[in-house]
Amino acid sequence: MEAGALAPGRTVAHDEHDHHGPPEANRSSRVEPSLLGMLLFIISEVMIFGAFFTAYFFIRVVNGDAWPAEGTELPKLIAGVNTAILLSSSFTLHWAETALKADNRFGFQAGMFTTFALGATFLFIQINEYVHIGFSPQDSAQGTVFYGLTGLHGAHVAVGLTLLAIVNTRAFRGHFSAKEHRGVEVPGIYWHFVDVMWIVVYSTVYIL
Amino acid sequence: MLNPLRSEEEAFRFLLYVVAVVVVLVVAVLVLRALL
Repeated sequence: MEAGALAPGRTVAHDEHDHHGPPEANRSSRVEPSLLGMLLFIISEVMIFGAFFTAYFFIRVVNGDAWPAEGTELPKLIAGVNTAILLSSSFTLHWAETALKADNRFGFQAGMFTTFALGATFLFIQINEYVHIGFSPQDSAQGTVFYGLTGLHGAHVAVGLTLLAIVNTRAFRGHFSAKEHRGVEVPGIYWHFVDVMWIVVYSTVYIL
Repeated sequence: MLNPLRSEEEAFRFLLYVVAVVVVLVVAVLVLRALL
């Protein structure tokens, strides 16, 4: 059959829409779907954290209660070191992404592994902090809010670590390239978001 | 305009801006508390 000729029994309309796989998803928004999904997700996350921060400000500003509760103390220094660890993990993640874009596989793998190790260290130190802090969530409203805010963030770190573990596994299997790195980009955005939230949590809960 | 949801690079830059703003706010609050 000549090139461009229609198969017997086929019309132009048939061949124009002939493609493999499921039909293309309907797009009702002018915003790119992946961007819209991430935007909605981050907005819902901000609202969840907002609910916990409302409880925090209610205790401190509306009620005027002491922070932390009398007779308790927050380990500012250890949490400060932990903040530095988490912040460094964002730098190593950015280094990994930059290395990948420059086709530097060793830099990418080293950066991703270091990011995971720093994130895991942060979570380990936080759990250790809970063990030695000397008060529990049911002791006071302050305790509830402290564990609520830091625990909510810790849960996000755990989710981020799961994503980083997947990226690490794929990185060491030779996946991703300078052109194909969406699977690194999206967890990267999430990880930086987790860091942004921690900066706000640390400054309000521990310092101010 | 900076959009932290567009790419990892922009999210990282946004994080640095947040750190800078929070440091300034915390220092301002601590200085005001010490003075008042």
